[in-house]
Amino acid sequence: MDHLVAYIDPGSGSLIIQAVIASIVAIPFFFREQIGRLLRAIRRRDDGLGTEANRTPDRSS
Amino acid sequence: MPEIGGGSPAQRDPGSFRDPSGFVFTRDGSILRQINESFAAGWDDLAASGLLTTLQERGLLIGHTPAPIEDAALPEQAYAVIRPERIDFVSYPFEWSFGMLRDAALVTLEAQSVAHQAGFVLRDATAYNVQFQRGRPILIDTLSFERGVPGAPWIAYRQFCEHFLAPLALMAHRDIRLGMLQRDFVDGIPLDLAARLLPGRTRWNLGLGAHIHVHARAQARFADRGTEAATASRKTSVSPLRQRALIDSLQRTIRKLDWTPEGTEWADYADHTSYSEDATAVKDGLVRRFLAAAGGNVVWDMGANTGRFSRIAAELGRRVVAWDVDPAATERHYRLIRRDGAEGILPLVLDLANPSPGLGWSGEERRSLEGRANADVVLALALVHHLAIGRNVPLERIAALFARLAPGLVIEFVPKEDPMVRKLLATREDVFPDYTIDGFRAAFGELFEVAEEAPVTGTDRVLFRMTRPITTT
Repeated sequence: MDHLVAYIDPGSGSLIIQAVIASIVAIPFFFREQIGRLLRAIRRRDDGLGTEANRTPDRSS
Repeated sequence: MPEIGGGSPAQRDPGSFRDPSGFVFTRDGSILRQINESFAAGWDDLAASGLLTTLQERGLLIGHTPAPIEDAALPEQAYAVIRPERIDFVSYPFEWSFGMLRDAALVTLEAQSVAHQAGFVLRDATAYNVQFQRGRPILIDTLSFERGVPGAPWIAYRQFCEHFLAPLALMAHRDIRLGMLQRDFVDGIPLDLAARLLPGRTRWNLGLGAHIHVHARAQARFADRGTEAATASRKTSVSPLRQRALIDSLQRTIRKLDWTPEGTEWADYADHTSYSEDATAVKDGLVRRFLAAAGGNVVWDMGANTGRFSRIAAELGRRVVAWDVDPAATERHYRLIRRDGAEGILPLVLDLANPSPGLGWSGEERRSLEGRANADVVLALALVHHLAIGRNVPLERIAALFARLAPGLVIEFVPKEDPMVRKLLATREDVFPDYTIDGFRAAFGELFEVAEEAPVTGTDRVLFRMTRPITTT
């Protein structure tokens, strides 16, 4: 903090409450991120399977 | 005065004095930004990081080119000089429509998000650091990025809430006209005031409850604890995940705020004019002809509504600043521009009878409407009766204002026989004996010469093209 050229008064209350609010909103944020990552992984795997399925002989005939 | 070395004298921008790391000035009509010796290490770090380029490529930050150090306005303090891309017209948050302020807020958050990923921080989140260029909001303060301290909270969080979240929440949840509060509170709307003005139900809205209501209470709580609170806040630590979560929460809160224009006075005016389709086509053609003849680069469309005639000016290659008193009309105009990608038009909110004054320190930090006048032509269609009859402004004064704004004028006279004027007069006494075509000619003839005129066929209105004679004083 002290290294910043803090020419704007950040407000003590604002900094303290920011930490509290950030901690709370981080919980749903974390899960949303993880779920998003999981869904992307599943979609990638499904796409991979789909490509393989296209290569099966009875499909191509 | 002979021109030696740096050429003509530098003029420091009266609104650029708060940040010790540099400032904006003009020299020879160019806009330049000096980076001070005190910020030398910070500037080198920033330049080497590639962050500025990333932000510029993503359209979040105004582009710039290096300028010679000899151009510095205060050479003894100078470390570097840059030449930022010029903004066509500097507008202010209280002149933006709801959607414009919202887009400006999202650009600010996006910039902080990108900066954070690169290990930097946006240390200044004032709405005045955003301008509209080619139809889109963009940050203009190249010096507001700095290397972040790991674990430090976002220093501009409070400022962001005061400059963006509070006015947007008030406009969306209480009344769109509260946007004008920004004109009085140039450093952002105090959060305790916003909390008091917002409907009580917004306390149960997760985003607004936290970032405005709880935030305001925390400010009050720690306000009288002075150094003790300052020490506590200095120890406050916010992990990178939490930092991202905070920005994400602000983004979600802003995106959820919505205001759709309806019911305000002129929102669907364009669809309910007194014109027939034929008369509209005639007027379109006349306006196009008169604007083409008037020439120039910049047109100020006063009373632009949703921009029918602004578009005609833009089609002629003019850059247009499209003012309207109604925030609903300006919002619709902005949405149309975003939809069509019309880059040359800037829609803004303004009450011409009470225009934007000079604001901030010495009344110079933010310039008045007339202080920013850059138009070659003022376009005033279906406007004069609103000012003359609706607001009791004598025609001479209307002429004088337009003469101060631009050397060219394309103006429509709307006589008392017109249904719109009859409507204005229906509820009040007619105390306007001089409001006639002859009175209009006399009043405007004092300051302008009529270059051409034509009746708008199918109506009682007359369109004039006028020019302000070059005075030799």
